Amino acid sequence: MKFRKVMALALAASMAVSLNAVSVLAEGGDTTDITLWTYPVGSWGDSAVVDQMISNFNEAHPEINVTVEYLDYTNGDDQINTAIEGGQAPDIVLEGPERLVANWGARGLMADLSDLWTDEAKEAIYDSVESACQNNDGVFYEYPLCMTAHTMAINKDIFEQAGALQYIDEETRTWTAEDFQKAVKAVYDFGQENVGAVYCSGQGGDQGTRALVNNLFGGTFTNPEHTEYTANSEENIKALELLSSMDGINFDASIAGGDEINLFCNGTLAMAFCWNVAQEKNNAENLSFDVLPMAFPAEDGKPQLCGGIWGFGVFDNGDEAKVEASKTFIDFMANDETQVVESVKASSYWPVKDLGNIYEGDDLMTEYSTFIQYMGDYYQVVGGWAEARTAWWNMLQQIGSGADVTEAVEEFVTTANAAAAK
Amino acid sequence: MSNKSRMSKALVRRETIAGYAFMLPSLIFFFGFVIYPMVQCVITSFFDSTMNREDIFIGFGNYIELFQDKVFLGALRNTVIIVVVSVPVVCVFSLWVSSVIHNLSGPLCSIFRCIFYLPVVTGSVAVTVVWKWMFNNYYGIFNYVGKATGLIDQNINWLGDERYALGCIILILLTTSVGQPIVLYVSALNNVDQSLVEAAEVDGATKLQCFWKIKWQQIKPTTLYILVITTINSFQCFALIQLLTSGGPNHSTDTIMYYIYHTAFKLYRYGYGNAMGVVLAIAIAILSGIQFKVAQSD
Repeated sequence: MKFRKVMALALAASMAVSLNAVSVLAEGGDTTDITLWTYPVGSWGDSAVVDQMISNFNEAHPEINVTVEYLDYTNGDDQINTAIEGGQAPDIVLEGPERLVANWGARGLMADLSDLWTDEAKEAIYDSVESACQNNDGVFYEYPLCMTAHTMAINKDIFEQAGALQYIDEETRTWTAEDFQKAVKAVYDFGQENVGAVYCSGQGGDQGTRALVNNLFGGTFTNPEHTEYTANSEENIKALELLSSMDGINFDASIAGGDEINLFCNGTLAMAFCWNVAQEKNNAENLSFDVLPMAFPAEDGKPQLCGGIWGFGVFDNGDEAKVEASKTFIDFMANDETQVVESVKASSYWPVKDLGNIYEGDDLMTEYSTFIQYMGDYYQVVGGWAEARTAWWNMLQQIGSGADVTEAVEEFVTTANAAAAK
Repeated sequence: MSNKSRMSKALVRRETIAGYAFMLPSLIFFFGFVIYPMVQCVITSFFDSTMNREDIFIGFGNYIELFQDKVFLGALRNTVIIVVVSVPVVCVFSLWVSSVIHNLSGPLCSIFRCIFYLPVVTGSVAVTVVWKWMFNNYYGIFNYVGKATGLIDQNINWLGDERYALGCIILILLTTSVGQPIVLYVSALNNVDQSLVEAAEVDGATKLQCFWKIKWQQIKPTTLYILVITTINSFQCFALIQLLTSGGPNHSTDTIMYYIYHTAFKLYRYGYGNAMGVVLAIAIAILSGIQFKVAQSD
């Protein structure tokens, strides 16, 4: 009996020692392990592409080992929030300022990336992007990689058959609010019962509905300082009243942006308000008609498109070595002369600084690059963003149910500003 | 005598220790994943708690806010509607189906059990996608059939119209909830003592009397279990809401579970979310207690 106990103890001790030895061996050398969690920004959600880029990185920096986890937009936030609460936040996240700066940055979870923002970097990166990557105190929580302008799109075939193309400037891809009304009427009268949908079942693709409302009569979503929501302006109310009264435009509380894209691609809707180049690329095989990407209609003919900016943020997990290794990774991906082009191309979007025409010969990218000039204010860094987004689609649902537009918009602004003031 | 007693005490002690040792892994999980989170939930509900900030003690502040929060009260009302409608319907429907199919021949009974159990074992995402397609405003089958048969003149936005959305959710919930009760009732009805039924029939009892006086009495424990489980499941309706309506339109399909998720994971108000969780747990406990009491008094 005694012998067996001694044997068991010795066996357990030897196992513990061997395990310890394995972990010591694993920690051996001067490698630093970091984790990258990436949202599906173009092919940054494709492991084959990302593995190749990491392989490039490891050729230059074999001392840093990068493990990648792929997120989606449905559960990604929950996964990261759960990881944060469990003390297991990733080292690097690839996403936009609304999450990296306005959310996790504002909660003191992100590392300051000011040392990556050298004078040279500041000079190279576009001002609007630079401003979006920092908080109001000038602390940088994001180092940007790529950007795009969110557009809308029309079914060119149906518009042509309905005689509605006359209301569109095909060269500049712009139209006025009046032209928009005439075009929708023409398509509706042609027999297309569902011309467009103000989708509002959730927050997916909500930049489209905001851009539509804001652009029609020149309204804004926030003030220029991004401290207050201004959606209750006369212009926005007028736009919402117009949209809710138009035949062919449905306020649809059963669909979100993704559903709207599907309905557009299968020909059910004649226009999509949630669109950008990635949608056209992703749905190329499903499209049986010509897509004409368009800027949102604006009364003065000068659209202000919602921009998408994506870049890297670093969670401050209390390990200086990991933070430094993460910065090295970011610097390589976003600044290395050869790699940066590959990194940006993987996103399917455009660089945040002048890299020349990286899409030379690519007709689709050239077509969509027209819209970069219309990029408007990146207001998504305003406080209380998460609550405001929810309040926005709730407001659209109310209007769709016949609620008074002014009252619904006032309620939205009160809720959103209360969240911003917290 | 004293020697024997000492021996038996030692044996009992050894068996007790062995018993606890066998239970230990389960107990660790039970305390770690049930008891500890429950206690933590109650404690956190008294704090203003959010991400990466020290919690602030606010006493019953969250609870006071809760009962002034229109969205929460709406979610509570919707949850109660779901429970009040789905629990009796599930119980009555599954009892009826079971009574019909439990006498069928083996393979036929199995086929029916499979059919009704299929939505239970199918992933909720897959089930939801199919229902979402059927309810689609533009090309859903309900609108297609409705228009083809002249029942409706124009498409109905089933999930996007607050008059219909909650009803649609309840309908889907019913299809995913009846499987387990049917299987349980079929087993319970097959276990009813047939000699009692035959004796009653010989004595001239009608079919209804046989059912009410004999079968119903013997399947009562199963009914109680089904009532409690269906009540809890209905109270915890979340996935359907999350995947289909996100609580809309106009909060008409908000349930407490969805609102807890939204408050905690989207707005980072952990204390407030936990307060809702405590209220939900109390509501479930009270209702389950009433069900047990009523079942016992019968």
